[in-house]
Amino acid sequence: MLNIFSVRKDSTTESEKAAALPAKDETMRIEGLDISYGSNHAVKGVKMSIKPKSVTAFIGPSGCGKSTLLRALNRMNDEIDGCRTDGVVSWKGVNILDPKVDPVALRSKVGMVFQKPNPFPKSIYENVAYGPRIHGITDKAQLDKIVESSLRNAALWDEVKDRLEESAMGLSGGQQQRMCIARALAVEPEVILMDEPCSALDPIATAKIEDLINELKKDYTVIIVTHNMQQAARVSDYTGFMYLGELIEFGETEQIFQKPKEKLTENYITGRFG
Amino acid sequence: MTEKFHEELSELKKQVEDMGELAKEMLETSIKALKEQDVMLAKSIIAKCETIRILDHTIEEETLKLITLHQPMASDMRLVATMLKMITYITRIGRYGNDIAKIAIDLSEEAHIGKLVSLPQMSAIVCSMIDDALLAFETQDISHIADFKEREDTIDAMRYSIYREGISYMMENPKYITRCTQYILIARYLERCGDHACKMAEKIHYMVTGEHKEIDYKSCCSPNQDTF
Ligand SMILES: Nc1ncnc2c1ncn2[C@@H]1O[C@H](COP(=O)(O)OP(=O)(O)OP(=O)(O)O)[C@@H](O)[C@H]1O
Ligand SMILES: [Mg+2]
Repeated sequence: MLNIFSVRKDSTTESEKAAALPAKDETMRIEGLDISYGSNHAVKGVKMSIKPKSVTAFIGPSGCGKSTLLRALNRMNDEIDGCRTDGVVSWKGVNILDPKVDPVALRSKVGMVFQKPNPFPKSIYENVAYGPRIHGITDKAQLDKIVESSLRNAALWDEVKDRLEESAMGLSGGQQQRMCIARALAVEPEVILMDEPCSALDPIATAKIEDLINELKKDYTVIIVTHNMQQAARVSDYTGFMYLGELIEFGETEQIFQKPKEKLTENYITGRFG
Repeated sequence: MTEKFHEELSELKKQVEDMGELAKEMLETSIKALKEQDVMLAKSIIAKCETIRILDHTIEEETLKLITLHQPMASDMRLVATMLKMITYITRIGRYGNDIAKIAIDLSEEAHIGKLVSLPQMSAIVCSMIDDALLAFETQDISHIADFKEREDTIDAMRYSIYREGISYMMENPKYITRCTQYILIARYLERCGDHACKMAEKIHYMVTGEHKEIDYKSCCSPNQDTF
């Protein structure tokens, strides 16, 4: 059904060579990733691996390129005029940055949840069923099943099971965000990208999303951008610190927050910046 | 906000240093009061015990407040964790100084057995460890605590020799039993203070390097060669 793997194999480009099968315990491998908006070099030579079924967090000051890097992982930057991406993001043996990779198919495998919950002005049911429908599922029973399991996985089912036909706009902010997560889960992704998913939420709703992230990593690979360092420390297994477009340090979360190797990281997470 | 936090943090660190200095002085002075049978001096130490107790409380409270308000990370977190542990060890040292001062008063009436050389010697080593731990804490320079294992071993050996000496005096003359028991007890207190200096050193090592290290001393988890 998906044609992420539809890269033509006849002519092997340099980037395809670099995108040879990743090591067994890595989901995505990023190499020499450079992203620019016009003359603004927003991401510079980032190289790292993302471990499967784990949570990876990106932290760093505003404008350091976290969102830009995250968006590269499901080609969302394609939608931005003047954005140029070079390098390799290798996943399942394919360089997903290759223009021959279908971004729509990619995005169903690498889903995204945004900072502000963005429900469609439709019913809760239709919001969650939207993706599967686009992928050609029309059978009502099958859709019901997908909607229920996605809402359950997003820890929202009990709160909305009796009002599935009501508008999603009537949900609270935290519920909307979990519904957006359910919507992302409905198309059975493997990787979920989250860009500051809690920044519009109160502490209780935030705690729910954090619990959810913890559950999700049993089945999914989660990559999250957050401004809240305590949140990064709580939810993630690996943390990357970015500064001026560079990935300054990347390592196990515990190490990054207890004993970072780089002075820049230390200064940032202890608030001694500038 | 974070500037204020870092100011408060370094203010607290300074307080821990001062508290450590005070406890060390209490210990050092208690041995002086013992040796010189100076009751006034001994009483001045007992008066300081309350200060240590209050410092222990206020520093702990302030530190917990900083954690709640600022959730410190990395080196700040390690400093905060180290301070919380250190005040406990420092309080213990101060209390041992207090206990020794009380014994000094009890033993002030009659002359010492012999010249009382070993206990002050032992105290000097223990106090040097406390000094160096505090210095390492202040300067983040762990070279000051690099030889704690050796010093700890020396202290152990001295305690054991004081114990044997005390036993032999007691066997020689039952009249010495009370006094010698007190000397042995003091040696034991000094050794405990050495242990607390080592525990401080371990925390300071963590604070500076981010790595946990145990100074391999035999006191707690392995069977003692000598019982007491
Ligand atoms: N759509 C865009 N068009 C042009 N420039 C952009 C665009 N998005 C981001 N940039 C620029 O790229 C750089 C990195 O921005 P990015 O949004 O990735 O940072 P960020 O780390 O996510 O920051 P924040 O924490 O504020 O969200 C910035 O200099 C920003 O101005
Ligand atoms: Mg951003």
